[in-house]
Amino acid sequence: MLSFGKLVTNEWLKMYKKRSFFIPYAAIAVVIGLVAYMMKSFSLSDGMPSGLEFTAGMFSKNGMGQLLTFLAIIGTAGSVAKEHSLGTIKLLLIRAQSRGKILAAKYVSVLAYILSLSLFALAVSLLAGGLLFGFQAREAGWEDVTLTVLAQLAYSLIYVTVTFMIGVFTRSTGATIGVGMILVLLESLVVGLLSRYDIIKYVLFTNVDLSVYLEGGIPPVQGMTPAFSLIVLAVYMILFLGASFVTFKKRDVA
Amino acid sequence: MNGPFVKGPIEQDNTDSIVLSVQGVTKRIKNRNIVDKLSFEIHKGEIVGLLGPNGAGKTTTIRMIVGLIGMTEGDVIVKGKSVRKDFAGAIAHVGGIIENPEFYPYMTGYDNLKQYQRMTEGITEERIRTVTKLVGLEDAMRKKVKAYSLGMRQRLGIAQALLHEPSILILDEPTNGLDPAGIREMRDYLKRIASEEGISVLVSSHLLSEMELMCSRVVVIQEGKLVTMRTLGASGISDASTGAEPERVHVTLRVDDAAAAKSRLARMEEIRILNVSEESNEITVSVRDAYIPRMVGALGSEGIGLYRIEEIKESLEDEFLKWTGGNRIA
Ligand SMILES: Nc1ncnc2c1ncn2[C@@H]1O[C@H](COP(=O)(O)OP(=O)(O)O)[C@@H](O)[C@H]1O
Ligand SMILES: [Mg+2]
Repeated sequence: MLSFGKLVTNEWLKMYKKRSFFIPYAAIAVVIGLVAYMMKSFSLSDGMPSGLEFTAGMFSKNGMGQLLTFLAIIGTAGSVAKEHSLGTIKLLLIRAQSRGKILAAKYVSVLAYILSLSLFALAVSLLAGGLLFGFQAREAGWEDVTLTVLAQLAYSLIYVTVTFMIGVFTRSTGATIGVGMILVLLESLVVGLLSRYDIIKYVLFTNVDLSVYLEGGIPPVQGMTPAFSLIVLAVYMILFLGASFVTFKKRDVA
Repeated sequence: MNGPFVKGPIEQDNTDSIVLSVQGVTKRIKNRNIVDKLSFEIHKGEIVGLLGPNGAGKTTTIRMIVGLIGMTEGDVIVKGKSVRKDFAGAIAHVGGIIENPEFYPYMTGYDNLKQYQRMTEGITEERIRTVTKLVGLEDAMRKKVKAYSLGMRQRLGIAQALLHEPSILILDEPTNGLDPAGIREMRDYLKRIASEEGISVLVSSHLLSEMELMCSRVVVIQEGKLVTMRTLGASGISDASTGAEPERVHVTLRVDDAAAAKSRLARMEEIRILNVSEESNEITVSVRDAYIPRMVGALGSEGIGLYRIEEIKESLEDEFLKWTGGNRIA
């Protein structure tokens, strides 16, 4: 267990020591600050949101949800692929650690990364929203904020897991970022195109946005429940992770 | 380059000292055996060269030994642990540099070594200091690796390989791309490590000259198959498989009368005449080292003038070219 923690530390440092590490956080802060400032400057006084509404809005898929996911995809894509392109994979795999453990440490550090992005965005949103609009709960309360953030995290988690798998398959950072982002962008299109068919319920894209189950949302297919979506997502996650681990463990590293 | 590194046949029979044992290893890709039933052993403290022309399968062999690629058949045993069945146990005794060592360029040398420290239990800060000192990188530890020269990266490569106190170092063409000074430096490190830390070394190369300068033994492969194994000793090459007469040398004598010299030397039982050239007055014989003064004395007492004695060393290169069919070596 101790050694697994050290493996995760290693993976975190590989991300953290890069000079570009802080750029996504800076981008998040800038975007949130700009949005808050514009809302403050241009909205009519009675159309003002509260700080909590602002935060919930920021975390919706149409707010920062996709941006956070894109940033998470960019951060994840290199986790395995960069080891191949740098050639460091050779020295990484000739240690007294199983490949499974090494890949698990990579996945855990990627999860820590998306969590840190979301928590940072949450903190900045609350700060900016609270400072500019105050905290009196009107439409949205703390519970709404929490659920919105959780839905956004789940959304990022799914795409990050897909991206992680693609990174293992392709060993190319660029290709992985490309495919990961295209998948996010294809989401609505695929759901729209397949909406006539029954299998749409079982497609990943249909279930990935859990915020549709929050107040005011409409599920893409009538009768879909949160439990159903969670089960479908769990099955996909197991498939993605299974494929990643099997591939990584069996691979001939040339 | 010889001295402590020459292992006699007696020590090689001692199975307790086997550090690495490659047992019938085969790698088949698309129905072609890139490595074909390769077997050899490495003993404690030996520097063994894996020698073969480009494409012979050296890299493939080494990658199988360190578990980067799977074996189709066979197994590799490191200190009694199977790479196939107990990878972590086996690889714990191995330090490797696979082609050019690649590091995280945006981290310092120290941060890179810390990465590998965290991957093995029980590596102390003291050990990190020891290995950086051994390879002479103390002053560069706080520099980012992207500012390192190839030679420095190679040395950092040795440092990471030694970090966990392995029993055997495995290096694939470690001098590729280095300048002559760098090659010499690398060779000196390896020899020092082998003698000071008492660890074995397996090093691959397609350059014979290099192998001759640092290895006590070479395993020659071609097209994935074992060609021969040779012990490199003080007097050139001896056949490791028969261990025959390592002290016998070939010398060419330049005399004033080759025919007279021939008839005199022919009477001496200990001497085998290999070649006589009357035009150039040269005679080539095979003789034991210890017998040479008597041979010279015999010629002198017969009144035969002796102008030169030259030892004929069939270099490993000559043999290598014979084994591998000449033109294949770069
Ligand atoms: N993954 C692979 N697929 C097909 N052929 C390969 C693969 N890897 C190596 N080879 C072939 O196997 C042979 C041995 O390669 P290698 O082990 O790199 O030789 P060396 O290191 O001795 O130069 C070469 O002919 C090479 O083309
Ligand atoms: Mg090679």
